[in-house]
Amino acid sequence: MKASYVSAAALGTLLDPDAPIWSSHSPERVSMLGTPAGMQPSAAIQVAWKGRKIGAIERAEIKALHNGEELAFRLEWADASEDAELPDNDSFPDAAAILLPAAKGAPLMTMGAPELPVNAWYWRADERESARHLVATGLGTSHTFDRTGVRGQGHWKSGRWRVVMARALRMESDQPLAQLPPGAETGFGIAIWEGSSAERGGLKSFSGNWLPLQLEPTTSGRNG
Amino acid sequence: MERQLAMVLDLNKCLGCQTCTIACKRLWTRDEGMEYMWWNSVNTQPGRGTPRDWEDLGGGFREGIPEPGRIPTRREFGEAWEYNHREVFYGENASGSGGGAGQHLQIQGEKPDWGPNWDEDQGGGDYPNSYYFYLPRICNHCTHPACLEACPRKAIEKNADNGIVTVNEDRCRGYRFCMEACPYKKIYFNQAKKISQKCIFCFPRIEQGVAPACARQCPGRVRFVGYRDDRDAPIYKLVDKWQVAIPLHPEYGTEPNVFYVPPIAPPRYDENGEIDELNPRIPEAYLVSLFGPKVIDALVVLGEEMAKARKGEKSELMDLLIAYKWKEMFGGFDEDPAAIEWVKS
Ligand code: SF4
Ligand code: SF4
Repeated sequence: MKASYVSAAALGTLLDPDAPIWSSHSPERVSMLGTPAGMQPSAAIQVAWKGRKIGAIERAEIKALHNGEELAFRLEWADASEDAELPDNDSFPDAAAILLPAAKGAPLMTMGAPELPVNAWYWRADERESARHLVATGLGTSHTFDRTGVRGQGHWKSGRWRVVMARALRMESDQPLAQLPPGAETGFGIAIWEGSSAERGGLKSFSGNWLPLQLEPTTSGRNG
Repeated sequence: MERQLAMVLDLNKCLGCQTCTIACKRLWTRDEGMEYMWWNSVNTQPGRGTPRDWEDLGGGFREGIPEPGRIPTRREFGEAWEYNHREVFYGENASGSGGGAGQHLQIQGEKPDWGPNWDEDQGGGDYPNSYYFYLPRICNHCTHPACLEACPRKAIEKNADNGIVTVNEDRCRGYRFCMEACPYKKIYFNQAKKISQKCIFCFPRIEQGVAPACARQCPGRVRFVGYRDDRDAPIYKLVDKWQVAIPLHPEYGTEPNVFYVPPIAPPRYDENGEIDELNPRIPEAYLVSLFGPKVIDALVVLGEEMAKARKGEKSELMDLLIAYKWKEMFGGFDEDPAAIEWVKS
């Protein structure tokens, strides 16, 4: 997928899932897979989910744009139920994440590995106007290190979620972060959790192995 | 060295006064999101318990394999409802003199259909053989904690020095696999913080040599505290030496470190209204359903030692259970809580 360069689009515009600029770019359609029950990180989860459907969301559409400073993804998927509140102990929010390798060769299936970190931009419906920035080096290791670096915004309208997540192309940090200069070629992944199916943690649908991502070079060459 | 703290509760002495419940509530669960939490609960047995019908919600292990469980809802725990205290006690909204004298204490909002002590004193059996006893419960700080093993984030920790099981709130992401897995249903979801929370065995008190609040405040001298392996202290003597203290639902497979001295029932009346010395009013089968078959042996030992004491003979076991010396119940954790310097974080 190409992340097109849209020089004039301000971050505020990109963060609006309904901004006209998004509709002028066509989406990439992605088939999503459920994570296998046998891969869940604890025996209790494996036993509880054996033979149960994991990965309620089977299709998603994604677009990416950057303005030379920030990269934004817009994710869209059909979901009959809006799970945005946690009215009870057994309710879970709809959620989505973009995964990016933070080191060459970082494995996606295991959410990274020691020495091979991945980053996740994580948005959830009960925290609609924000997103979390995570680093992971293996299943169950992800930790939120920042709640402002990644911006997020999403809404649910007539059976569809539209969610935008955006971050600066380059970020200084003591954490291992994906650096995304214009012209870069890297990979990305998508994960979606269906709250009404009690999906959370490793129970989710994901986009398979890394999908290619090219950041269109800026014509000015300003960012190299 | 790895050690394990434990608690023994003598059900023959529990008054059902809920002092333990309130001591815990005042100390640990007063913040937003914790309103419905009762890390210590006391229920009447037989009864549906807290959360409602918790014994049917699954979790734990069967032959070492995790048993799927269900997350108890807030309704099943019982929501914390509000009363019109201000109207009754301070005459708010009242017209004329007399203030709140004309007001009745009433639940505000939706009428609850369950609460943490809903079926208090109902019990079981038919007159004249009706019976009940109180069963106080906290997290069992299990040796084989289902909660900890279910968590995919390793957010639940068992302290190697004392065996206390706690939720690491920084690692917890509120997935609630622990709530499914704990067969005792002693983990609560905090909706405000979006994390799981549970009994911490008052570890900040333990660190200062003070027994947990539920034990220290108990007016019935019900609760013994201490290390499992401390051979000179009551826990070891009651659990291992005399074997009169046994865990609740050992078949759940988590190896609890909270043990109960089972209730000794008075005899039944037979059809003619005569005392039937051979049959206790609490059916043995009922106690076995709670504590497993070992409860029968425990009751035999208790009966023998009681008979000895009645004859004026010395019984170490009876002396222990009477707890003549209150502070000796606490296995060395007998510092005065008033002496603690609390640091509020
Ligand atoms: S009682 Fe439940 S919460 Fe407590 S340690 Fe055992 S399994 Fe975990
Ligand atoms: S354990 Fe002690 S404090 Fe708690 S209800 Fe029983 S007697 Fe009261």
